[in-house]
Amino acid sequence: MATVNEVIDTTIDDPGNRTPLVIGGHDYGSITRLVCGINESKTPIAWYVAMLASLSLLGMLGGLIGYLIFTGVGVWGNNNPVYWGFPIVNFVFWVGIGHAGTLISAILFIFRQNWRTSINRFAEAMTIFAVVCAGLFPGIHIGRVWVFYWLFPLPSLQLAMWPQFRSPLLWDVFAVSTYATVSLIFWYTGMIPDLATLRDRTNNKILRIVYSVLSLGWTGSARSWSRYEKAYTLFAALAAPLVLSVHTIVSFDFAVSQLPGWHTTIFPPYFVAGAVFSGFGMVLTLMVPARQLFGLQDVVTKRHLENVCKILLATGSMVGYAYAMEFFIAWYGGNMYEQFAFINRAFGPYWWAYWIMVSCNVISPQLFWFKVCRTTPWLMFVISIFVNIGMWFERFVITVTSLARDFLPSSWGMFEPTWVDYGMLVGSFGLFFTLFLLFVRFGPIVAMAEVKSVMPFPHHNRREEPNNPHGDFHDDPDQ
Amino acid sequence: MSEDTNNTEPKLIGLMAQFDDPDSLLAACEKVRKAGYTKTDAYTPFPLHGIDEALGIKPTILPWIVLTLGVMGGFAGLGLQYITNAEWYPFIISAKPVWSLPANIPVIFELVILHSAIAVFLGMLALNKLPTFSNPLFRVPEFARATDDKFFLTIDVNDEKYKPNKTRDLMDGLAGQTDVIEVYEDPSPAEIPKIIKFVGIGAAVVALIPPILLWRAYYQTSTVPRINPIRDMDIQLRGDTQTISPVFADGRTMRPRIPGTVARGEWIDPIMLTGIVPDAGKQNVAFLQDDEAPKEGDQKPAAEEKPAEEKPEADKPMAEDKPAEAKPADEKPAEGKPAEGAAPAAQPEEPEPNWVKIAPITVTRATLERGRNRYNIYCSVCHGLAGDGDGLVAQRALQLEQPTWIPPTNLHTDYLLTQPDGKLYNTITHGIRKMKGYGDQIPAEDRWAIVTYVRALQKTRTGTPEEIPAVEMKELEIKGQ
Repeated sequence: MATVNEVIDTTIDDPGNRTPLVIGGHDYGSITRLVCGINESKTPIAWYVAMLASLSLLGMLGGLIGYLIFTGVGVWGNNNPVYWGFPIVNFVFWVGIGHAGTLISAILFIFRQNWRTSINRFAEAMTIFAVVCAGLFPGIHIGRVWVFYWLFPLPSLQLAMWPQFRSPLLWDVFAVSTYATVSLIFWYTGMIPDLATLRDRTNNKILRIVYSVLSLGWTGSARSWSRYEKAYTLFAALAAPLVLSVHTIVSFDFAVSQLPGWHTTIFPPYFVAGAVFSGFGMVLTLMVPARQLFGLQDVVTKRHLENVCKILLATGSMVGYAYAMEFFIAWYGGNMYEQFAFINRAFGPYWWAYWIMVSCNVISPQLFWFKVCRTTPWLMFVISIFVNIGMWFERFVITVTSLARDFLPSSWGMFEPTWVDYGMLVGSFGLFFTLFLLFVRFGPIVAMAEVKSVMPFPHHNRREEPNNPHGDFHDDPDQ
Repeated sequence: MSEDTNNTEPKLIGLMAQFDDPDSLLAACEKVRKAGYTKTDAYTPFPLHGIDEALGIKPTILPWIVLTLGVMGGFAGLGLQYITNAEWYPFIISAKPVWSLPANIPVIFELVILHSAIAVFLGMLALNKLPTFSNPLFRVPEFARATDDKFFLTIDVNDEKYKPNKTRDLMDGLAGQTDVIEVYEDPSPAEIPKIIKFVGIGAAVVALIPPILLWRAYYQTSTVPRINPIRDMDIQLRGDTQTISPVFADGRTMRPRIPGTVARGEWIDPIMLTGIVPDAGKQNVAFLQDDEAPKEGDQKPAAEEKPAEEKPEADKPMAEDKPAEAKPADEKPAEGKPAEGAAPAAQPEEPEPNWVKIAPITVTRATLERGRNRYNIYCSVCHGLAGDGDGLVAQRALQLEQPTWIPPTNLHTDYLLTQPDGKLYNTITHGIRKMKGYGDQIPAEDRWAIVTYVRALQKTRTGTPEEIPAVEMKELEIKGQ
């Protein structure tokens, strides 16, 4: 049933036929078996190996956080004048990655891009885990972690004071925590029907209880589906502006300050484009190997990957445009300090970081103009890795080059990351992949119910109809 | 499925038809609805388009719930920021108003989204009556495929149109149905077992104890310091002011200055500092040990000796001695630091110290300008710009007829004219009667500059034409005409 049928090239546009989103002659039952099979099959050795590697990195991260908390933030390289070093770079990097999931679920849903159904669950999970990694860094960056709740407007006897609501850093607290909450419930809501499927299929008693509790007694009643779909639409309508607002507010952390190189109005759209770019880059990084490992080629077809590549090309070009525009405005604005900041960025002591950023973010996605790059999975995997590297460097360049050459030449200085900085960056990937591997093993990684809803109807009773009124694609001779 | 032979006779609650494809289900829904059934439902593995119309499902009220909660979230965000930042703890940043709406928009926006999203989630669950873990349908083995690839249509026995055989026939006649199943009520008791109930209630009660204790402690005063698990910098190795130290014999953490020492950078000529000419090295020390009560014994004899010894050196007649002695009772209470003034309150007949006669600074035009500047800032508010004791504060006090007001001294009285500069300086430093001391606010050089300026002010009333240089006299005459 679930045979890989690569005969159909879904990447060719045929105006007569709607390109199928699922190939390989699947019916509803085979989709269920394909997706649930990933959870129900014996745990592959590769999973254990990957989990072991991720857990070791996670353990290292935990150890480093303990070391940081007991010793103080001096273990980082953050120092005058670069007080915002790796922690903020990592925060913005991870929060950016965390934008693709909700974007795919919400904005592509609103635009009726049905191809999103195969990848949205995956991307949403990635969003949640990336936001977890992102939330970690400001959390430990505050120094006295045990009073982290001072970030929130809670009455405090000891302080007898309230947060400053006109600060972008506080907006950030609200934006990121709202984003994490909304993404989480959006993701969970989307999973309820699929968890019910897992519940109804599993023979393992413990898993059955777990899936029963998580699926909340979902039956698939038409009346429930009616409200569920309305809820999903509302979620999409709410999450679409939210996803744009979050990185806008993250960019305010920089743009609202007075530092040349940060104080620009281009930041909000530039950050949002960068976030979408990095998020889709990470989707590709995860999707290409996962699709291969779990045999999901029928559900996540090359056309899906090609669409992601096109988005990467578009957003990568937007990011490139933003880089160019920053230079243009620095020149056109005639402010010598602004000009210095940007010339210094490209040709100053951090020129290498700048050019890594440009080559990874602007040049490498241009390869997606060529169809061969958009349809060769290993090639797009390599480019997506470049995108990830480039986007990390983008945040590094923005944060560090601006601070290292701030107002007074007498207080200029270079940023020197410590081994703890590097360890935490690597360790955050351990946290991300640990969560991700757990999800891949125990959760429904493809939104089965949604994929089924975009599959062609089997039309058992209407087979006699000579012309398919929906223009739906049929390649299974049995149907 | 029908287990009619059971003793318990499980109650039939509905009929369920199974379909293999969505089209058949839609057609069946249509048919059942047209037959007049209302207590129907369909079960599908994915949302089926067109089933709302086919089954007659009314639009949900969920959007209205979300709108309400979203608006409430917006007002909550607005209120939170207004109450905390404009009312309870106003921040003034760069002289901006404490309440400025544009800066509050991001948080309002985020809270609208947050409240709406939670309303969507909880509203959807509540309207769908989820979570419901016990459902008779789950007891039907075939129903497990409702979340996989089968489609089901149910009719409730409570439906007005329901008639055992007729409905069954209708279900059997539905096109595309592959099976018709009777659904029975869940035979297991609906009641929660008593033991679980008791354990649950017990656990809830026990769980309430810590918050109640916390709440009680929060609103009670206590004689013991609060529990501080993470001490931050509250407790440090250093000794705090006003605490007992085990290190020193006298048990004081705050150490007195060692006699005869001056802190680095604080050295200033004692004459300059005090306005008193000392008679011996010992004297200097005594005046500098301003906080040292035990040292009083040393300095008293020195202070008492002074007047007798120093009088011959005076280049002016010591006319101030008499008025000064007439006023000691007034002056002394105002002197905050008895040791420095060398006039402890306990001794009424304290002799005058050896005041510096002429200010120990080089007087230039700049000094006088500086003196005027400082005088106008610090002194003129009471003493008046010309020194007549008619400053704005004094005028206002008279206007208000303040009973306790002591009018500031007119600087042109004989009593002040004849005072040595040192005494004038001492008055500025330590104050007199109601006047407070300005020693902490005005540096010594500036106090001397003020003394010099006061002398210049006095000269404007006492000067004679002979004292004016001929050139300037001429200019004055020209102006006078």
